[in-house]
Amino acid sequence: MKSKSKLEKLLESGHFAVTGELGPPPSADAEIIKKKAKYLKGCVDAVNVTDGQTAVARMASWAACLLGKEEGLEPTVQMTCRDRNRIALQMDILGVAALGINNILCLTGDHQSFGNHPMAKGVYDLDSIQLIKMVKDMRDEKKFQCGDEMDVEPRLFIGAAANPFADPFEYRVFRLAKKVAAGADFIQTQIIYNVEKFAKWMEAVREKGLHEKVKILAGVAPIKSVGAARYMQTRVPGMDVPDAVVERLRGVPKEEVSREGIKLCVDIINQIREIPGVAGIHLMAIEWEEVVPEIVEQVGLLPRPQLS
Amino acid sequence: MIVVQQKPLDRIRQMIADYDKILILGCGTCATVSFAGGEKEVQALASILRMADKAKGGGKQFLEHTIKRQCEWEFVDEIEPMVKEVDAILSLGCGIGVQAIAQRFPDVPVLPGLDTCFMGLPQEHGLFSEMCAACGNCILDLTAGICPIARCSKSLLNGPCGGSHDGKCEVSPDLPCAWQLIIERLTKLGRLRELEDIKPPKDWSTSAAGGMRTIDRSDLRITSQDATPQGHEPN
Amino acid sequence: MADNSLRPPCQAACPIQQDVRGYINLIAEGEFDEALRTIRKTNPLPSVCGLICAHPCETECRRGQVDQPLAIAALKRFATEYGHDDGAEPQTGAKRAEKVAIIGSGPAGLTAAHDLARMGYGVTVFERGTAPGGALRAFIPEYRLPGEVLQKDIERIVALGVEIKTNSELGKDFTLSELKNEGYSAVVLALGLHLSRGLNISGVELDGVLLALPFLREAKLGAGKTVSGKRVIVIGGGNVAVDVARSALRLGAGEVHMACLEARDEMPAFAWEIEAALEEGVKLHCSKGPKSILCSETEVAGLECMEVKAVFDEEGRFNPTFYEEKVSALDGDVVIIAIGQAAELSFLEDTTIKLNQRGQLVFDPDTLATSEEGVFACGEVISGPGTAVQAMASGRQAALAVDCYLRGEQMAAPQPDGRKDVGELLATTAEEIKRLERREMPALALKERMGNFNLIELGYTEIQAVKEAQRCLRCGAGAEYLEDKCAACLTCVRVCPYGAPVATIAGSIDIRADQCQSCGICIVECPARAIVFRQGEDSQIRERVEAAVTEASLSGAEPVVIGLCCSYGAFATSAFAEFFRDNYKPGIRIVKIPCVVKIDTTHLLKAFELGADGVFVVGCLEEDCPYRMSTFWAERRVAAVKKNLDEIGLGGDRLEMYTLSDPTVQKFDEIVTEVTTRVRQLAPSPMRNRREEA
Repeated sequence: MKSKSKLEKLLESGHFAVTGELGPPPSADAEIIKKKAKYLKGCVDAVNVTDGQTAVARMASWAACLLGKEEGLEPTVQMTCRDRNRIALQMDILGVAALGINNILCLTGDHQSFGNHPMAKGVYDLDSIQLIKMVKDMRDEKKFQCGDEMDVEPRLFIGAAANPFADPFEYRVFRLAKKVAAGADFIQTQIIYNVEKFAKWMEAVREKGLHEKVKILAGVAPIKSVGAARYMQTRVPGMDVPDAVVERLRGVPKEEVSREGIKLCVDIINQIREIPGVAGIHLMAIEWEEVVPEIVEQVGLLPRPQLS
Repeated sequence: MIVVQQKPLDRIRQMIADYDKILILGCGTCATVSFAGGEKEVQALASILRMADKAKGGGKQFLEHTIKRQCEWEFVDEIEPMVKEVDAILSLGCGIGVQAIAQRFPDVPVLPGLDTCFMGLPQEHGLFSEMCAACGNCILDLTAGICPIARCSKSLLNGPCGGSHDGKCEVSPDLPCAWQLIIERLTKLGRLRELEDIKPPKDWSTSAAGGMRTIDRSDLRITSQDATPQGHEPN
Repeated sequence: MADNSLRPPCQAACPIQQDVRGYINLIAEGEFDEALRTIRKTNPLPSVCGLICAHPCETECRRGQVDQPLAIAALKRFATEYGHDDGAEPQTGAKRAEKVAIIGSGPAGLTAAHDLARMGYGVTVFERGTAPGGALRAFIPEYRLPGEVLQKDIERIVALGVEIKTNSELGKDFTLSELKNEGYSAVVLALGLHLSRGLNISGVELDGVLLALPFLREAKLGAGKTVSGKRVIVIGGGNVAVDVARSALRLGAGEVHMACLEARDEMPAFAWEIEAALEEGVKLHCSKGPKSILCSETEVAGLECMEVKAVFDEEGRFNPTFYEEKVSALDGDVVIIAIGQAAELSFLEDTTIKLNQRGQLVFDPDTLATSEEGVFACGEVISGPGTAVQAMASGRQAALAVDCYLRGEQMAAPQPDGRKDVGELLATTAEEIKRLERREMPALALKERMGNFNLIELGYTEIQAVKEAQRCLRCGAGAEYLEDKCAACLTCVRVCPYGAPVATIAGSIDIRADQCQSCGICIVECPARAIVFRQGEDSQIRERVEAAVTEASLSGAEPVVIGLCCSYGAFATSAFAEFFRDNYKPGIRIVKIPCVVKIDTTHLLKAFELGADGVFVVGCLEEDCPYRMSTFWAERRVAAVKKNLDEIGLGGDRLEMYTLSDPTVQKFDEIVTEVTTRVRQLAPSPMRNRREEA
């Protein structure tokens, strides 16, 4: 085992993993974390804590991870290259490892122009692939990026994002291979609504044998409203929301849309489970954490395996 | 070339508000090609500022002159007689020009009439785009002649990111995704495999982030000793 | 005024180097008086040339590569008819003591007389005929050159102080030594060619066989052998032959045939004269050599012809050869021989003036001096048959020679123009130029021409003339590139609709003078001000605009409104002239702009800066403008200045652009009213010092 991560253990033992997501508040309010953690506890194997999602300033991921850990969650810290240079990144990596956080998701980060501080200077000292490699070298070589050695290495289970729906489509698997070569242990994909396209991507992935080198968790999410669907379709970079999905939600009366949105999510999960090479799902019910338990239950993934 | 743009008129008027006699100084190189600070623009701006001033009661005087380049001392020296007569110089040169004039004539306020925007080229007449970030360590040989530092919004070396859509950058549908362009061109050249190698973190110390940069070419420098021919006693 | 222009092909082709480009463009802008002045600078016989010139300028006119050449002669005529001059001729030299005698008042003699009088010499012209004009008066038919038109030009020369003595024949009424005794310091023989060449074939002695020149002379005088109802055969293919044929038609000939040695395209007569003759019904028989005149009893019955093999030999000399056995006959009652003219020099046999074996004057080709000291010769008498304008050039050369002789100076080699000649118009450029048909000269209908010798060509109206003149490409007078200011931004290369500027490998720009159409787009768009007009139009426009605002402000009237108006097309006619006058309306000045595409944003800004309350621009519709993209650029620049005016709080509605299609006077007046009303409602411009504050 590369780390003390429960998620790693589960995946290594061949179980179909379920990870969740938790977005910290744009404030110093610790209570919200505790509240959200309560929904997620026990229904997911690890919880991603987002880091300045869409370039909006929120409580730091590592801090919210710690709060979540205190609530009994297995947190996955997210780190973007947008806000920190390599010095700060390595400092934070050492810090989270010392705090007992076992999973890290390495991201490039949404461009600062999307968020509430568009005038901020984007750092981008590294990109996500360089970050993955840096964490791996810290863990496996016990070396800093500059080459200096360290005594106690951060033993983190390294994750990366993949987007089967971004362009250029042909190149996506190529890039995934690069992330694997850099040292990614697990992958979480962008939210899938176009299952067909995801299946195609998985085909290419399997062709390259990447599903055996890295654990792929398919991103899924319920949709609360037609507006939310449209927002994701048009305003979120790298998302593919087919019209059929929006129409499905439009086809039911307003008070039933959220219910339908949950059904939709369940259907997609079930379809995804049929696709060979998928090691688990990453369920993102952002600001709707309360529906996570029922979704996991409806797809028959409760209770979660408890490994010693 | 350095691409520059005239500042909004309000801002310029604000800058010159406290001065009575102002030299509007154009630049005959990049600022001219950018249609922002050449002789014609100097003429037009002078007319506009005179009118704006007169509408408020008048009292300002505007001199007009254009030199070939504001970044060469010999050309800058040309304006010395004019500088004595004015309270301020409104430079329509790039930031380099403004500073050169300020350095040469430290007693006169030098105001920037332009914003220096980027190093780039006209993709077509009137449409300028940024091409180079002056990182000081060019890797265009590795990226098929397309600069990821200047043209990728995140300066990725192992791009594209997940936000690339339809060949466009997530930041704006008007921006082509530089990595898409790189991939397309390397594919055309049969060199896509080269992208398999993970490019290591960039050495940013040679870029602007490293601090003000200087190049000292000892092979070019002329000292007073060099000016003395060999074999003669210096005076 | 700056002139870095190249010499255009029209001027280069003109024997007297007329500034064709200059006067054509003055006509195009409605400056008819100035056009006439320009013509008169180097042409003392403009009315004559306007009607009968061979116009080699038109042959070389590069517009011919686009559609048709400019109707230069017709425009010259227009200038003489619509332009006014005050009659005063500038003397180029101080009054001189010497007097010069000119023998002959044809175009050579008249030009020599005019030039010498301008130089300050006393000049007397001796003309043996009853009226001055030489061949112009005696032979050229009235339907081509009416006597009163010729008289107009002659009177102008007389007004210079030239004395013309008619009925004075050298060798008969006076001798050269008498002239010397009377104090003439030099003599110019401008005798012309007044002998009609005859033919040595059988039948020439018959009654019905006439010679060309006497026939033409009698036709002009209204007397002479009638050809009414007769079948007339004219032998010859030159202009005189055509004049004879067309005159015969007008005198009532039943049929008129021309038989000439030359093939159609070899005929020396003007192509347009041949075409007119054919239109009028003359039958042309080319490549026919006269063999004998057929007779029946004592009357002429026709002409026997032989087929011509070749007119010119291998060396290009006139040396006709025939297929003597290929014989044909033309029926006819009258045969008129028009095969050439010769000089009458028999009277010189007893003088010291040397003649060569062929009986021609011996003369120095540079100084035009004969063997006799102080006696010079010019015109057809030394050149052989030629055009009127060639004779004029010769007369000019003689005047220079006389002047040098009298001042005891060597005759200098003719001064070259000094300018580079305009080169070839590339097909690629010609393709980009808008096609504009040459304006047809209004002329008498065929049936109106018969039975009279009325002038056939009726002359252009104003609108025809200005539209025709507008077709001029202004060869060699376009954009000039100033290398030291150029920033190599390539704007000129990109904006030129004709592709004239090209970037060289060396990195500089070559604005090819031979391809430039003088529209002025690049001059305005250049951000470095590195392009100017070769003849300074850009500075002129700037000065005109500034002067207009200054003058309008001085009037004290309100509001001060400046209109920048195209000066071409209908704007150039006299109906429009009132708008351009200084006293058009108080406070309002309309400035002539040769196409609104030459208006710069800085012209407009300056107008406002100097105190105009309002400015408007009036141009033509894109489709009426000979240039391309003119309306596009003008509108863009106006829009930019409107924005500037809004930014400084003066208000963009003080500036407006209008386009008029084939403008009528009322429409322009409406625009002026509309603008003035609108501007009056705005606050007076704070740029102008009010009288009260002054």
